[in-house]
Amino acid sequence: MSILRVEHLSKTYHLRREPVPVLRDLALTVEQGEWLAVLGSSGSGKSTLLHLLGGLDRPDKASSNGQPPVIDFQNHRLDRLSQAALDRYRSRDVGFVFQFYHLIPELTVLENVLLGPMIRRGRFAYSAHKREAKDRAESLLETVGLSHRLGHRPAELSGGERQRVAIARALINGPKLLLADEPTGNLDRATGQKILDAVASLRAEHGLTMVMVTHDPVLAERADRILRLEQGRLQPGDGATHGRGVPGSGAEVGAAKDHA
Amino acid sequence: MRVYQALLTRRYLFSKIMPLLAAVAVALCSAMVLIVWSVMGGFLAMLVDSGRTLTGDVAVTWSNVGFAHYDDLIERLEGDPMVQAAAPMIETFGVLSLPSGRQETVIVRAVEGASYARVTDYEDTLYWVPREQPMPKDHEEEDWRLRSHEVWAMHREFGLALAEPGDDGVLRPAIVPGIAVADANIRKPWGGFVPGAPAVAAADGSFRFHQQAIFNDEVTLYVAPQDEQGRVLDMVARVFPVANEFQSGLYEIDRRTVLVELGAIQAMLNMNEGRRLAPSVAFDPFDIGFDPETGEERVAAPREFVRDPARVTTVLVRGVGDGRDPRPLAQRVREIYREFAEVHAGRVPPEGDGMGTIRIQTWEDQNRTLIEAVKKETALVLILFGIISFTAVFLVLAIFWAMVSEKTRDIGILRSIGASRGGVAWLWLRYGAAIGLIGTVLGLAIAFAVILNINAIHDAIGAIGSAFGMDTVIWDPSIYYFARIPTEIVPWKVAVVFGGGLLSSVVGALIPAIRAAWMHPVRALGFE
Repeated sequence: MSILRVEHLSKTYHLRREPVPVLRDLALTVEQGEWLAVLGSSGSGKSTLLHLLGGLDRPDKASSNGQPPVIDFQNHRLDRLSQAALDRYRSRDVGFVFQFYHLIPELTVLENVLLGPMIRRGRFAYSAHKREAKDRAESLLETVGLSHRLGHRPAELSGGERQRVAIARALINGPKLLLADEPTGNLDRATGQKILDAVASLRAEHGLTMVMVTHDPVLAERADRILRLEQGRLQPGDGATHGRGVPGSGAEVGAAKDHA
Repeated sequence: MRVYQALLTRRYLFSKIMPLLAAVAVALCSAMVLIVWSVMGGFLAMLVDSGRTLTGDVAVTWSNVGFAHYDDLIERLEGDPMVQAAAPMIETFGVLSLPSGRQETVIVRAVEGASYARVTDYEDTLYWVPREQPMPKDHEEEDWRLRSHEVWAMHREFGLALAEPGDDGVLRPAIVPGIAVADANIRKPWGGFVPGAPAVAAADGSFRFHQQAIFNDEVTLYVAPQDEQGRVLDMVARVFPVANEFQSGLYEIDRRTVLVELGAIQAMLNMNEGRRLAPSVAFDPFDIGFDPETGEERVAAPREFVRDPARVTTVLVRGVGDGRDPRPLAQRVREIYREFAEVHAGRVPPEGDGMGTIRIQTWEDQNRTLIEAVKKETALVLILFGIISFTAVFLVLAIFWAMVSEKTRDIGILRSIGASRGGVAWLWLRYGAAIGLIGTVLGLAIAFAVILNINAIHDAIGAIGSAFGMDTVIWDPSIYYFARIPTEIVPWKVAVVFGGGLLSSVVGALIPAIRAAWMHPVRALGFE
């Protein structure tokens, strides 16, 4: 069963009034619980794709062949949602992990993770569930091995630790979809592998669907399925997939459709 | 409202110097406006109080020729529960010939010392009275009134009675000029006076110094009586001993006004009670008769006389209570006068609103020109300082603009986690309000500290300036009329400044908040 279905997705930027197409009439299906890796070189539009899937940006109104875009998340059309509904979608259904961690430097580790519930709930609702939220945040931070760093500021953490905080923050609201943008791109390989281990473990634990974009084929190898983003279009990846992405599985059907 | 806004506001506040600079700017502007407002308000209040000092609450006036039967009016007024006391007065113009040879045009207020003191604060205004403590800035204790208390006690009694015993021991009507009328005293830097020796110039260019203190001297007062039709007759002069001097605190009054015993002025102006020819008997200069005693020819003596009651131009009224709002009292006085005028119909001016009716004015009406001028000046100064303070809005705007730029990535992060545009805008508005709150509270604290110690601060600045040979005394009591810088702290004014400071910060934060809210989250995340 697919959790995310994308059709006719295009995105064009305008630089000095010149249109620069980044994504061209792209189609994609992501199955529930799948780990999809999108492999592409710098500037190929990987991050743009992630921003569109996460409701941070909006696609072109029509693709190059005039078809309107479709971004369907669990039967909700993201491309038609209001700004307020998109805010709610980002708050409840999606978790982002960025290459540069994007933690707020003035807040402690625990407070950075708690930002999610603070934003999701109103003042009174948050106060009513504060204990619960704090327990969950501490539990997540313990899972990523940071229970001893709760009161530290991001500046006092290593790159790997920061990224683990970002992962805990992404998961705090119990999202259904995790979008990871080069999550290890700013880390050395060994640390990157550890981070991916943590993500893989949490994904399995929480039954998460994950779309990860990376330029590193070695990292992409860990995904269920790999797609390659080239010149704004998705192509099936070279690497063999495993788990849910093995040939013959639903994921392969999705992959076969993806490059259409 | 979300918890994250409160948390980030708190953290942003104390993590950077910039917001604190904005708070300082708001504090200085708030303090400046409140200090100026308090000083101008204090100045106005002092002016109003000084203006009331010698006028009472309400004045019933029929200028020039005056009106009769005022005793009856006073009796009726004092019988009313709203009236504390009433007193007769003649107000006219005169020329004062001073011992130094100078002539001064003056406003003559002829009063009975005792009744005048009941209606006004006259007793408090007498300057040459015993003083127990030196004035605050009189560190050398130069004030003459600190010594020879029995002399000053005597002058106080003379001043209150507006009479002074002559060499023969008989009381003579006396005069009490405003402290600045004679220009015979020297104003000291501590704000008080000591008797001086004014120069007396002669026609040949020589001059001498007149050594006699004014309160031991005599002056000649010239006034112009009028006939019943208001036509001015020849000026009449009389020498009056100076019993004391008064200081109302209002320079215009203290420079131009003299108080004189009522009976003497009534006599000089032909407004005293007297016998005169009955209007029905025409005086005929050709009606010649013979003197029965001498048998000589003479103009026939008038055969029918009437009693002509004494007149005054004004009856001053003091109401019960503080008299801050004298309008109800004025209304009551009007009603009482109406009854009085009905009883004395045809002999006193009628009550009404048009020409030819008695004038009943509150102290505010009488001093309106001066009070309104100061009110206008206060408003003008406030507008000017308000405009200057408006720069605080732009300062907050500039600082917040820079901070929003600096925190662009944070805005992107918040949006990526689900924060709405409204939520981000509210975060910055709340931040602006917090800056405003801190700044305004700080500003009010500074303002209170300055207002409560403004005279000490002023003196300290003066002392430091003098140490370096500079004249840094701004409010010099020897030049300005008030010895102390007047201030007042009015709760509603404090509330307005507080609200204004808070609002300025929120308004200053508004545009940066809107900018933050409309930032594209993707571009914000990519901001470096």
